[in-house]
Amino acid sequence: MATVATTAPSAQRGLPKWVKSPTFARILFPFVVLGIWYFIYYTLDSRIFPSPQQVAVFMWEEITLTSGVRYSSVAENIYVQFGITLMRLTVGFFIALVLGTIIGLAMGISKKVDAFFHDWVMAVLAMPALVYALFLGLALGFTSRGPILAVVIAGTPFVIINIREGVRNTPRELIDMARSFEVPQNKVTRHVLLPSLMPFFFAAIRYAYAVGWKGLVITEVFASDRGMGWTIKFWYDAHRAHGVIGYAIFFIIFALALEKLVFDPLANRAFKWRPRIDAVGLAEGDMTAVASEAVLLLENQEVEQGVDTTVAKGGNF
Amino acid sequence: MAEIKVEGLSKEFGVGEDRVVALENVNLDVKGHVFVSLVGPSGCGKSTLLNILSGIENPSSGKVTITQDNREAEPGYVFQAARLLPWRSVMDNLLFVQKDRSEETRARCQKYLEMVQLGDKVDKYPGELSGGMQQRVGIARAFSIEPDVLFMDEPFSHLDAITARSLRRELHDMWRQTRKTVLFVTHDVGEAVELSNRILVFAKGGKLEDDLQIDLPFPRDPAEEEVAVAKAQVLRKFEELDLIAS
Repeated sequence: MATVATTAPSAQRGLPKWVKSPTFARILFPFVVLGIWYFIYYTLDSRIFPSPQQVAVFMWEEITLTSGVRYSSVAENIYVQFGITLMRLTVGFFIALVLGTIIGLAMGISKKVDAFFHDWVMAVLAMPALVYALFLGLALGFTSRGPILAVVIAGTPFVIINIREGVRNTPRELIDMARSFEVPQNKVTRHVLLPSLMPFFFAAIRYAYAVGWKGLVITEVFASDRGMGWTIKFWYDAHRAHGVIGYAIFFIIFALALEKLVFDPLANRAFKWRPRIDAVGLAEGDMTAVASEAVLLLENQEVEQGVDTTVAKGGNF
Repeated sequence: MAEIKVEGLSKEFGVGEDRVVALENVNLDVKGHVFVSLVGPSGCGKSTLLNILSGIENPSSGKVTITQDNREAEPGYVFQAARLLPWRSVMDNLLFVQKDRSEETRARCQKYLEMVQLGDKVDKYPGELSGGMQQRVGIARAFSIEPDVLFMDEPFSHLDAITARSLRRELHDMWRQTRKTVLFVTHDVGEAVELSNRILVFAKGGKLEDDLQIDLPFPRDPAEEEVAVAKAQVLRKFEELDLIAS
């Protein structure tokens, strides 16, 4: 007689359901980080390494503009510095988006244009931010132009690669369908091509934004006399780890807030048509599956070329 | 009355050693309210012929004319996969292929969605529907433009047997109500016998080998003896033409 192996009920019980939920895991992460921080603080016994409370008090004074020490040596407060950095990020980000979209579209459509740009896009992708940060400082001086250009240099290749893959993965079968029904080209562009590019465009936005930040802060450290990067450098020079860590956390919280309050709702709105099931198992012709395949394809390609595989995650929305 | 006329049609892919003949000197005349099935083994050019007729592909040589009362006929197409826009609702998928979005057009789309029993699913996205429902939307989309001729490329081959059977019945009812000229590609001889007045048999290399008439009344039940006999006769014809792989 055939027997079926089953899991014992006692093994299934274990932890309560809410403990096993992804939400709990997400909430747990900062507490784990805080625990590790305390552990290091007490084991290191360093006069330089601050405790979480010390950083919190320091940042509270910064945010409420009540720091006595700070304003004797730094001309602008946290909001002004952050505003400068945000302005630089926004301008650079939009330039990267426009430039990357134009080049990415051209590379996706034309093999010649792709051949022309391909190696250089990969070269810029592989270039350490420090190299262009130093160069921009030397070339453009301590103005806003350097940091803005740093965002453009960091972000554009990510936009290019994502948009190029989006164009290469246009759903041929849907275009043929439209053609057989004699749908005009402008309608095909609006209802087929642009929506099929959206997952790749959103991936481009997210990655360009994330790497733009990194390039910008490094450039502000070396090639600017204002902005958040420069402020972090200021506290580094002053041997005040409170400032370095505190400002870094301020950054992280802002980036997370932007992700949750702007990017996530935008993506949810743009992709509300996606069923809440495993994307890979969807029917033929579904762009989710196409986009996932594109990502795998791209990752394989990047691995072969020895480039960072975190470049494009076109289907991960 | 719609008429599909194909004269000396050939289609080749590739050049030199890679050259593949998909269709070779095909001649065909289909007229009026008929349901014509194109059957044959995989790679015999059935789908290529349909793609050329619907304008997706161009022929290498030969001539195709599709007319309706001396004007150019309007074709509708049902594909193997439903080919719906996943980011548009069911109703918007139908409206996408229409010339306008007027109330009259919407009402027409609604009518055909109701004919395929999806009148209450107009606001759903394709991803929220089963494979059978998606194919129903594909059928409603093709009928909704009220075409003169309908091309169908193995529309039920992706579906399970029970869903395919109920969809075949719905399609046949719609065909009889709307009196369209239908060209239906299938590799399933039983399906062809159940649905068609006429079966065109294609062989490898894209040759039209035979043109069979199935003179049985509709609707046909595959379990009926006459239909089973007709199917056996068509299969025998396949054997005579050496189309069944041993």
